[in-house]
Amino acid sequence: MPSRPDLVRRVAAGVALTGALGLGALGWGSTLLGEYSVMDMGGGQAGHVHNGATGPGAASTVSVTGLIADPLRAPDVRIELVARCQTIDIPGGRPVEGYTVNGTSPGPTIRARQGDLVEAVFVNESVAAGATLHWHGVDVPNEADGVAGITQDAVPVGGRHVYRFTADDAGTYWYHSHQVSHEQVGGGLLGAVVIDPAAPPSNQHDADAVALLHVYGGQHTLNGRVQDEHVPAGPGTAVRVRVINTDQGTAAVWSAAPIRVAATDGHDVNGPAAVEGRKVLIPAGGRLDVTVQAPAHGSARLHVGGARSITIGDPGSGAPPSRQPSDTLDLLAYGEPAPLGFDPQSPDRTFDYVIGRRLGLIDGRPGNFWTINGQLFPDVPMFHVRQGDVVHMRIVNESGEVHPMHLHGHHVVVLSRDGIPASGSPWWVDSLDVHPGETYEIAFVADNPGIWSDHCHTLPHAVDGLVAHVMYEGVTTPFTINGGAGNQPE
Amino acid sequence: MRRTYSAFAWIIAGGVVVQAASIAFALGGIGRYVQDGGVIDKALVESRQATFTGDLGFPIHGIVGGMVIPLAAVALLIIAFFVKARGARKWAGIVLALVALQITLGYSIVDMPYLGLVHGANALAVLLASVYAARRIRRSATAGAEKTAADAIAT
Ligand SMILES: [Cu+2]
Repeated sequence: MPSRPDLVRRVAAGVALTGALGLGALGWGSTLLGEYSVMDMGGGQAGHVHNGATGPGAASTVSVTGLIADPLRAPDVRIELVARCQTIDIPGGRPVEGYTVNGTSPGPTIRARQGDLVEAVFVNESVAAGATLHWHGVDVPNEADGVAGITQDAVPVGGRHVYRFTADDAGTYWYHSHQVSHEQVGGGLLGAVVIDPAAPPSNQHDADAVALLHVYGGQHTLNGRVQDEHVPAGPGTAVRVRVINTDQGTAAVWSAAPIRVAATDGHDVNGPAAVEGRKVLIPAGGRLDVTVQAPAHGSARLHVGGARSITIGDPGSGAPPSRQPSDTLDLLAYGEPAPLGFDPQSPDRTFDYVIGRRLGLIDGRPGNFWTINGQLFPDVPMFHVRQGDVVHMRIVNESGEVHPMHLHGHHVVVLSRDGIPASGSPWWVDSLDVHPGETYEIAFVADNPGIWSDHCHTLPHAVDGLVAHVMYEGVTTPFTINGGAGNQPE
Repeated sequence: MRRTYSAFAWIIAGGVVVQAASIAFALGGIGRYVQDGGVIDKALVESRQATFTGDLGFPIHGIVGGMVIPLAAVALLIIAFFVKARGARKWAGIVLALVALQITLGYSIVDMPYLGLVHGANALAVLLASVYAARRIRRSATAGAEKTAADAIAT
């Protein structure tokens, strides 16, 4: 028999426990998302408007489905892309279960000329969760952005969706599913896009090769093979290698021979100097065009990612692997300055995108989640802009891991890192690695109306809350996430 | 309650053993994987698809260290409030504090690798403290049968 004070203590503990459980259940229930629209996110408190205008004209709205490429223009490039859930054959390695496009992974490389209208007819043959195509780095009209639940419904098995966009910027891009993307991109529902310049490029090269990196079931591949490649080239010939990082983490590129960074994320570098004894890093989702000159004798080896490499030059001769340099090329001070084409010094909007991490609940799921400006998803900021705005954004990483931040539909230019202003060629990116403790100031022109994801491209991080959106005034979406269409963009 | 207290303390001690074993298993597997030409880079780590022997050691270390042990340590402290034995709360508190320190160290290793040295040493402190907590409560439990003697023995 317990004594009286003991009984009181136990009853009190019981009451406290019941109360705590009740409150806990209530708190847990309040995090459940259910079906939701990005239109309801953010509460509109995110931005500071500098021009003070809240003016008229906001009354007319347009749906994302109306933000399309010229519907009357006949396509210059037309391709059908069929997604399947199947075993992927990995030459040089073992086959893995995943996703293919037209029977292979990576899918076919789409090649267009600058100014072409590209029409891709996407068919989902057997991807049970539904699928989409997002044109990573291509500043497409919003309707063609391929984000399930924002710009379209995920294409169900047996369904199709037509993507149309003009290839305005020459460069290296890629396409991938943006439905359950952490799973489908990892599983191989992706491929390369190369847009050739209308006029001969400023950074001269004689030959061209795509180097798409992807890890399939723990196997590092180059263009889908667990094999290195060789690009035959005569002595002195410059070869442009288009490295595409489709993985979830940073990739390094280096060579014992001098290389030049010709482009980042589809934008040419102005006056790139020869890089020697340094590695160049590519964020997850990012692309890097590197020119390598075939040596007078033998060949040069370009390491792409930690595991694969490409030799360039005489097919009959190999080149030894070289050690990965410990120094990294700083793109903040690489190449020659050039005009940006807009004035970033007097922005119309300024935003903060501060990344942190804390324990909490997202959609009833407990975990150690990423935060944006101190808030857990979905209480993250909405970056409201108006067409024509010059937007200034400060990205701060207060967490312990690197985040490759990817803004859809736009290219941003880096203004500074940790207070040090950019001093080289304009550094244009759509995927930017922000390391722990770093602060980047970036700017872009809001010239592509729509609702655009601005998220981490280490895709499991996006699942864990590292996704916000840029929303143009007057743009709405009829699509929802977690509803009947099963849209789950992350 | 003494039995439960003791059981949870032993769970923590056992957890420390699992931690040492799992990380050794994982590092051994990495050594072998690299020997055989495997490459570990950010792409492989973030793909969460690494497939070498020993790879399982990392999630085990993470789950046991980040979930099982801290939950057991919190439970131990709660149970301590229902156990009538002098020092039960104190030792549960010490175990919980050491576990909290251990987790903080663990999550900070990537920032400051030298902290790994402390992380390894503190693991032994967690082990010793939890074993001591488990054993002393059983000792005082046996003594507890002779009511008057209990206080004299359980210091
Ligand atoms: Cu991230």
